[in-house]
Amino acid sequence: MPMGNAQPSVRPAQAGRTDGAVASGAARRGGRSRRAGGGSRTERLAPYVLVAPAILIIVLLRLYPLLLGVNFSFTGDGARNGTPVGLDNYLELVDDPLFRTALGNVGLLVLLLPVAVAIPGLLATFIYLRVPGHRVYRSVYFFPAVLSPVIVGAIFNLLLAFDGPLNAALGSVGIGSVDWLGNPDIAMFVVVGVHIWATFGMALVVFLAGFATLDSALLDAARVDGASLFQVIRHVIVPGLSRTIAFVFVTTMVGMLTSMFGLLYVMTSGGPEGSTYLPEYYIWIQQGQMNRPALASAASTALFVIMLVVGLLQVQLLRRAGRED
Amino acid sequence: MVWDWKSGEPSAAPYIEKAKADFARKHPDVAVEFVAQPFDQYYTLLGAAIQSGKGPDVMLFNGGGQIRDRVDALVPLDEYVAEDKERLAGWDAFTRDGKIYAGPVTLQGHPIYYNKTLYEKAGLDPASPATTWEKFLADCAAIVKAGAKCFALGNKEGAGIQFWLSALGSGILTAQEYDDWIAGKRDWSSPAVKRVFQLWKEAGDAGLNNDGANSTAMFNDAFALFQSGKAAHVIGLMSDVGHWKDFNEFLTADKLGVMSAPVVTAGTTPSLPYDGGIGYAVAKWTKDPKVAADLVRSLTSTDALKAFYADAGAIAADTTVDVSAGGPAVATIVAEIKGGKPALHVALSSKTLDLMGRLSQQLLSGSATVDEVVKQLAASDQAG
Repeated sequence: MPMGNAQPSVRPAQAGRTDGAVASGAARRGGRSRRAGGGSRTERLAPYVLVAPAILIIVLLRLYPLLLGVNFSFTGDGARNGTPVGLDNYLELVDDPLFRTALGNVGLLVLLLPVAVAIPGLLATFIYLRVPGHRVYRSVYFFPAVLSPVIVGAIFNLLLAFDGPLNAALGSVGIGSVDWLGNPDIAMFVVVGVHIWATFGMALVVFLAGFATLDSALLDAARVDGASLFQVIRHVIVPGLSRTIAFVFVTTMVGMLTSMFGLLYVMTSGGPEGSTYLPEYYIWIQQGQMNRPALASAASTALFVIMLVVGLLQVQLLRRAGRED
Repeated sequence: MVWDWKSGEPSAAPYIEKAKADFARKHPDVAVEFVAQPFDQYYTLLGAAIQSGKGPDVMLFNGGGQIRDRVDALVPLDEYVAEDKERLAGWDAFTRDGKIYAGPVTLQGHPIYYNKTLYEKAGLDPASPATTWEKFLADCAAIVKAGAKCFALGNKEGAGIQFWLSALGSGILTAQEYDDWIAGKRDWSSPAVKRVFQLWKEAGDAGLNNDGANSTAMFNDAFALFQSGKAAHVIGLMSDVGHWKDFNEFLTADKLGVMSAPVVTAGTTPSLPYDGGIGYAVAKWTKDPKVAADLVRSLTSTDALKAFYADAGAIAADTTVDVSAGGPAVATIVAEIKGGKPALHVALSSKTLDLMGRLSQQLLSGSATVDEVVKQLAASDQAG
């Protein structure tokens, strides 16, 4: 999982500045080559024996079911249950406007990603620069991150209802009511907005951790040179945090693609007019409501391929960010 | 083992007790275990069980598409339940290709409930609700004038259109068209079918519904609007939720009325749309179908169903249960069961219903026309 791989690449970033980390890395590498060089047969086999349980678990519980699922996606549903149907399920997916909407929404999420990263980044910057009350903000911003999506969804359902408080507030300043969750053109943005609200606390903490590694001498120097806030952010903070930013990009993307189900389920049920469907939700509907498990498998496979591509791109991004530093 | 989503509810406990006792008399040596599953995931879990060919011997189903899509995994019950056929109503919803696959427990249908207090406020006679569509629109205008909405509508899940189609269908489609529809000969391009969607759109455009119907959940926000007296009518249910018992609590039994569908097409006779609501079916993989079928019979015995009606607030499938204590609304419903017909939307596949839900939202928001909608529905209906 990208998250597991990504974590260490941030940590060394802070250690990378000190000579100790480099030295210990070299020592580790040295140790490995020494062991591989001169050892008896048991010593040569030992690493394989030691990783065998992990590999077995991955193969048996991850890869094998995955292959079964892919295989299942080439069989039929209902009357054609169990018979091979070739690419029929995939063709049906391509034909289904609902699935196309779901994929389109994935694209929308990718486009909105910079916003989802910029918000915690900016807020963390303000906290780091010690705006008045920054201690309060630090805990308040994190608070939504501990709420389950179902609770968040229920809260916002009430707030955003047509006769809810938000529309009442808008009405009192003379702006007409908006059907936040009933208008297909805005519902998806509303749900994404709520998702960002509910999860940005985590990214904020990561950003704050990144700031802890920032060399304050650079900031002081910039201030002495008379840099404006924008210039400080542009020339000191962003380059200094490039690896943290890349990490937050990856985790936010993964979060958006994999954990919006609860919100969608509670807030819009994929509607209105199917405008807030995501592949996950589509899979769930096909399997649970439409009794089309094979079609759902095909959609899962498609989602898996998308996630694989996105994941690999992100690993690439992380590597490149790591090299730059 | 029995799977359902009911037995965990306290209000269903007396029903399960009675059914168990009845079954224990017939088969004292067979132990029965009820496993209540969360309804949200019920069909997902059931799908997994069917896929693996292992699972409960007896399971609860919703009538209509949910059971018809899964009959491959069920045992036909015709030979076992022959004696119950007269006593119980609602078999059609559990029948596919002439074979019965479940014993009906409750009846589910879509009466039009109305709030007599709001009728009085609007200067209308609560004892004689409108019988024609023109009169109904006039009544609605009076109600809107008095400060309430005409319909409480929740179409977030797309359920609103299903209720609309079924509740008003008998006043729009001719008897012949209605029967053909149920029999599977559905002419989506006929003027009457178009009229159903036309009226849906007109009601929305004319502001008869509550605001934001597309983001209002039928369960239970729309019902809450009706209960709190903000809307005068709601197309509700007969059993489980959103029904006479819930409404009685808020509006009191005297102020809750049930009306027939207003006549839209002259010459039609409105009828109560209802089907078997939920019913117990027997899985194909069960060891002894006879014993399992006996359990289904116990679960649909008069005593058990009487307990279900009284405690859980359902219209039981058993027409011999006495309902006079439930107030005028429930009495009206039960009186109309004899002349009732299967609901129109229950005849459609889950896929078409899902599509209809989304299209109905487009009709309300104005992003689709009635012609486009019936065309897409016809295509989906013919494919499925």
